[in-house]
Amino acid sequence: MSAIHLQNLVKKFSDFTALKTMDLAIADGEFMALLGPSGCGKSTTMNMIAGMEEPTSGKILFGERDMEGVPMARRGVGFVFQNYAIFSHMSVRQNLAYGPKMRGAPKAEIDRRVGAIAEMLQLTPLLDRKADRLSVNILQRVAIGRSAIMEPAIFLLDEPLSNVDAAFRAVMRTELKQLQRQFRQTMVYVTHDQLEAMTMADRIAVMDHGVLQQVGTPLEVYNNPANVFVARFIGAPGMNLLRGRPAESDRGLVIDLGPLGVTPPLPAEIADAVRGAPGDVLYGFRPEQVTLAEGGRGLSLPVTFVERIGARTIVHLGQGESAVKAVFDNDVGLAIGLTAVVAPAVHSVRVFDAGTGRAIKAGG
Amino acid sequence: MSAATAAISEQAPIPEDNSHPAQAKPALRDEGAKLGFRLTLPAQILVLFIALFPLLMQLYISLTDWSPLSGLGWWSAWSLWNNFANYTDLAADARFWSALKRTAIVMIVCVPAEFLLGLALATLFADEFPGKRIFYSILLMPMMVVPAVAGYMFFMLFQSGGPVNDILSALSGFPVTIAWLSDPTLALIAVMLADIWQWTPLMFLILLAGLVGVPEDQIKAATLLGANPWQRFVTIVLPKMKTIIIIALAIRVIENFKIFDTLYIMTGGGPGVATETISVYIYKLTTQDLIWGYVAAIALAILIVLSIAAVFAMKRMARAREVSA
Repeated sequence: MSAIHLQNLVKKFSDFTALKTMDLAIADGEFMALLGPSGCGKSTTMNMIAGMEEPTSGKILFGERDMEGVPMARRGVGFVFQNYAIFSHMSVRQNLAYGPKMRGAPKAEIDRRVGAIAEMLQLTPLLDRKADRLSVNILQRVAIGRSAIMEPAIFLLDEPLSNVDAAFRAVMRTELKQLQRQFRQTMVYVTHDQLEAMTMADRIAVMDHGVLQQVGTPLEVYNNPANVFVARFIGAPGMNLLRGRPAESDRGLVIDLGPLGVTPPLPAEIADAVRGAPGDVLYGFRPEQVTLAEGGRGLSLPVTFVERIGARTIVHLGQGESAVKAVFDNDVGLAIGLTAVVAPAVHSVRVFDAGTGRAIKAGG
Repeated sequence: MSAATAAISEQAPIPEDNSHPAQAKPALRDEGAKLGFRLTLPAQILVLFIALFPLLMQLYISLTDWSPLSGLGWWSAWSLWNNFANYTDLAADARFWSALKRTAIVMIVCVPAEFLLGLALATLFADEFPGKRIFYSILLMPMMVVPAVAGYMFFMLFQSGGPVNDILSALSGFPVTIAWLSDPTLALIAVMLADIWQWTPLMFLILLAGLVGVPEDQIKAATLLGANPWQRFVTIVLPKMKTIIIIALAIRVIENFKIFDTLYIMTGGGPGVATETISVYIYKLTTQDLIWGYVAAIALAILIVLSIAAVFAMKRMARAREVSA
């Protein structure tokens, strides 16, 4: 087990900067997800941790140890590839035994370690099967077992579920999380799927365009996004953001949304911070935390589209700048053409600086 | 006659049914098989004529003393029937056996040399290096040279006053005047060098295609698990290339067995019979001795030997595919 520290990590490919000054501390035994859209630098970060790529500048520490110049085979890192990279011409046993064998471990020891790891991963009955005709969850276990047999301090997983069909992903997620509990290794998990990050990770590092946007527990990232990117990226659908101007009213500080009218008053703790901020703001609230306002106090918007996804219904309201999505139960009586008056739950409201995109927080 | 045909036609379907026992819908399957047979019939007849007719003609002539000088059409060759004399002659033909041995030696030297050189070059070219594309083009050129031209090239190179001796002189400091093509051993070496020069590129090309197809992340995974470059090559790269290696070797073995054009222009099979391979021997018998019945017998004997070898190779390959699949 080992903690990982990334200090001022930068990676440039000729004149393209894949990663801009990344600082991240991953605790010993933590499951950290690197989450972001493709091209955000998450895989580059992972490859540098593994030693497949050299950082342009900055440091990678495993515990106290600087990894500069340490070749990938000596880093004590287990790597699970996107397609698992199982040696398909070998049996499961040969796959598991590969690492110790290449390092010249005695045969008796190899057998003992393969036996133990196979037992732990429930691969014992499959040991002599050819590796190329196994189902994908078995492949995942073989890939993890093949790395785990080397007793790595750190496990790196590069989008291991992206080739798995949707129905099976839930099974694989559960299995993977259980394996992590079993091995207690530090795990770094790269993904573009927020569901995977939210369900499995202890903490999530959200990245975009080579910049680390926010690090926090899944709920922190969901509830208190640090900026507009995280607010939009996390959640399905993402947070609603409406541009407006703070204005005082007799009920407290509200946001004047122009043609949409005026919002309900902001909670007191945010209001003070918003008063101190210059210029326009973005008024943010989760689609899940919207209620239909019976009394008429709220944002009045035309229904433009209704998406029924089974248990829930996503209602699209308004257009362009004032587009809002709201998630309701499936029996909501809204249809295209009707006008809905919706009110965000006051406690769920977040406000962002329209200029910088940063969250305006109480006391900050 | 008619009774016999009836018996055959009654018996004919039985083994076919036995070969596919307990199928779900035999009627439907037979229907499909019949249609398939009818659809492929024209092609089958064509193949039959291309493959079978020359073979039968060859077999026919090989049993006779027929020659184009005999004044008979080949179809009347039966009047020159010689009681398998061609085959008994063949068994006792020392020149044939030594040509066969020589052909085998050339193959045993050239094919492995081409394979190892090709594999080394392919490994080199699997990575990036400056000027790769230019070297790649240069490397493939020998393959494009017309064999006859290559023959003249090497004929000139190995003259006693030729460039090879000039270079050896410059390197050693002594005037070297080796008569390459007039020395029985050196002539064979020169001929093999020419073959290696010309056909290593093909080996390289096929092996490179195989090498590039080895999944990169499996190699990375092996590296992460602590395998050094040699271990990676032996445990991952070679097993993944197995099928393509067998194909490359099979192509070159078959081609090399028929080695002729470059060699014939360089030495004409000489000095004496020092570089006379099977193809050269057959060529001489055909054009100089004109004993076509005997030639047909040799060709047929070789065809049978090669076919047996090919069947073995294919069985081996099918097994390799089964194991790796």
